[in-house]
Amino acid sequence: MGTTLRAAKEQAHGRAHVVAGEEIAHEVERRVVDHALARAETPAGPRLEEMLQETISTELTRLARADGDLREAADREFIAGLRRRLVHGTPEEWRTLILQVVERYVEEISGHFEPRVYAGVARLLPAALTGLMQGFIPKLGHPGRVFDVDERVLIGGELTALRSLFELGTVVLAPTHVSNLDSVLLGHAVHRLGLPPVAYGAGLNLFTSRLIGYVMRNVGAFTIDRKKHDPLYRETVKAYATLLLERGQHSLVFPGGTRSRSGAIEEHLKLGLLGTAPIAYRHALEAQKRRPRIFVVPCTLTYPLVLEAATLAGDYLRTEGGPHFVDVHDEFEQLGRWVAFLKSLLELDLSVHVQFGRALDPFGNAVDENGRSLDPRGRAVDPSRYLLVRGRLMADDARDAEYTRTLATRLVETYRQDTVALPTSLLAYTLFERVRRDSREPDLFRLLRGLGADVGVKEAEIHAELSRALVELHALEKKGRILLSPKLRTDDVTQVVRQALATFGTYHASPVIERRGEWLRVGDPSLLYYYRNRLDGYGLLGAPARPLAPGSRP
Amino acid sequence: MSELARWAVLGAGNWGTTVANLIGSNGLEVALWTRSPEQRDEINRSHTNEKAVKGLVIAKRVVATVSLQEAIDEAEVVLIAIPSQAFREVCRAAGELLRPEHLVLHVTKGLENETQKRMSEILLEETCVRQLGVVSGPNIAAEVAAGKPAGTVVASRFPRVVEHGRRALSSPRMMVFTGTDVPGIELCGALKNVVAIAAGIADELAVGDNAKAFLVTRGLAELMRLAYAMGAEPLTLTGLAGIGDLMVTCASPLSRNHRVGVALAKGATLKEAVASLGMVAEGVHASRSARVLAGVHGIELPLFESVDRVLHEGLSPQKAIEHLMGLPSGRDVPHFIAGARSGASVRSPRPSLH
Repeated sequence: MGTTLRAAKEQAHGRAHVVAGEEIAHEVERRVVDHALARAETPAGPRLEEMLQETISTELTRLARADGDLREAADREFIAGLRRRLVHGTPEEWRTLILQVVERYVEEISGHFEPRVYAGVARLLPAALTGLMQGFIPKLGHPGRVFDVDERVLIGGELTALRSLFELGTVVLAPTHVSNLDSVLLGHAVHRLGLPPVAYGAGLNLFTSRLIGYVMRNVGAFTIDRKKHDPLYRETVKAYATLLLERGQHSLVFPGGTRSRSGAIEEHLKLGLLGTAPIAYRHALEAQKRRPRIFVVPCTLTYPLVLEAATLAGDYLRTEGGPHFVDVHDEFEQLGRWVAFLKSLLELDLSVHVQFGRALDPFGNAVDENGRSLDPRGRAVDPSRYLLVRGRLMADDARDAEYTRTLATRLVETYRQDTVALPTSLLAYTLFERVRRDSREPDLFRLLRGLGADVGVKEAEIHAELSRALVELHALEKKGRILLSPKLRTDDVTQVVRQALATFGTYHASPVIERRGEWLRVGDPSLLYYYRNRLDGYGLLGAPARPLAPGSRP
Repeated sequence: MSELARWAVLGAGNWGTTVANLIGSNGLEVALWTRSPEQRDEINRSHTNEKAVKGLVIAKRVVATVSLQEAIDEAEVVLIAIPSQAFREVCRAAGELLRPEHLVLHVTKGLENETQKRMSEILLEETCVRQLGVVSGPNIAAEVAAGKPAGTVVASRFPRVVEHGRRALSSPRMMVFTGTDVPGIELCGALKNVVAIAAGIADELAVGDNAKAFLVTRGLAELMRLAYAMGAEPLTLTGLAGIGDLMVTCASPLSRNHRVGVALAKGATLKEAVASLGMVAEGVHASRSARVLAGVHGIELPLFESVDRVLHEGLSPQKAIEHLMGLPSGRDVPHFIAGARSGASVRSPRPSLH
């Protein structure tokens, strides 16, 4: 590590809340291997050779489907070697093989990430990012206007508490996952709020993307390869994330796992990475850390337009609705799509909303700005007691998994409350609901396939229904069940519709909704459904209060 | 668990006293909380609780108290045996004393009237505890108290809760089975009471065993449909706390809810029927909740609705039976049961838009 970076880091942070990468890697290896050996000792646990066979078989399955870049060639070679040595090996050698497998995984996970360097670089990065975005400006053809990220990103919510919790313990930011832009956006928000940087696990695919790979390598991302199904791999990822947390590294976790395909707010969260919170908390208590507390802060990200909407919606409909729906390429890889996206934000004066919700402890209790956990009646609770058995801290995986389930339930509730209704989602919702009622088609996918350019509704009728929905939204906002964007708060229905149509008309290949004379027509049914789903499950316009979007896929 | 756990049982009614005695008989210390100083004195002096369980000699390790604090402070496991409509109030008071490390079980078979919430949901809303579970099964208190053999289920997603429950309640005369589907077991326990009232009516009106079996089984199908919509695992309904409990409560003349049905069919008013029991019949409340829930989840529950109308809207029991027998028939076994295999995912219905 260069001295400049070290100096930058020390300047940026009075206290050392960032830890050395190499030491972390060794500790993760030790934990995962020890755990594997311990399991092999138990009567019901898998034998070492069974674990290795599992590694080989899951990796071979993965590699059989891979396209075969350099990394995968090396993986193939490694697995072939593993196979040979497993067959002729002794239990002693199996132990070595387990260690080698885990070492390899740790190397990939932490490969791009050196926490100490990160602390320094992360300070500089947001500016670089702004530059990156501004780099597009000449292409945008607006010489007079500068792309000001601050103006395009509206940050709201429990900011005082957020700042204080970053001081009082370790923060896990847990946002809804809409777009690959989310992590960049949150990195920016954290920087703008003057908070220390956060680390997070990003999909391996992001590192291989030419455009974003550079950014990813530098925003404090460690690697998660979702295609690896080896239990040893998953355990290694978890151990890595846990260790970062217990060492006080603020982190970012997407509890939904992947970007929401349906466009709906996540209903079902992945418990794996969230589940690191109670474990890290217990470890920190056992090590008698000064600030052992862990705070999980829900955030919602709301975009008027979503960069990858077409891919996500297509992917969703193919998975849920069958082969009638065709494949689309990921916009995230395409420079042109980025330019168009940023151009739309700029021209239409659109903003993205980042909303920080009330923090939770790892057990799902609300946390106030002094870091105190509160029970549902507002009584202070000592969270460390959730981990006690007869006065002693006790590990219990099944128990902690249940705590995490509660935490996930509370996160989802907060997501719904902190979602910002926008003109686009509202117009899409109103039109979709109207078309749905008119069609009387009970099957969602048949309905979507049937929505051609000939389907439309008189604009005046949509205005009437949208103003009804707006009244309902205001009532919901009063009850704290949703938020309204500034435009929805102040503008009248005509303005809202105009804004939404303009937004829907610019970025996507074909307009989501278009105006033809007196009629509003469905331009792209799957996108209409995608944008509509952000407001799913609120019971607006007489739709069921339970979510419509099928499939538990996040 | 080297050292024996201390228990608190909240509620010294019929079932609470019986369960406290089961635990105490296993050599565990039990603090039994009651509101009544007279009851406390009787339990502590003569080891009886005549008003609640006639003839029972309560184990010496069961010590009654009127102080919630005394009961809860020292306890590792707290078992709540409070009727559903008073459950929240007691939880709220206990919430001042319960700590995150407490393990909590309850034995209450009902739903809260105003909110239609399950007891474990109320616990989560009123206290800081997370490690909770439920005990339920075909357990007529009088039989258990008399030492007759029985089986029951302890369910929790927390293995330690299950383990404590299993150890404390198991005896040569009580077989304890385990489960994890807390919502499923709570819903079975609450909703079967409504079917039991129908069974009582059918018995008293002597409509015949065919008709009774028909009504009870249709009741079970309705119960399954509603419980499934509310998150129960379908196969939980085939267990001790499902069909097991339904069988005993629909057949036994000792069942409180069955007795309410009989009394109504004899021409008693609801008030008279309940008064003659001297205890709470949960089905009287549960029918109300079931109707609300049916609406919320968009499910038709003709049997539950008819029982509710008999209980609360003055429909005559005869008319109700005629109405039920006259309904159009449809699919017998609900699709999610027909297609259910253990562990198989049955929760992926195609979305219905209307």
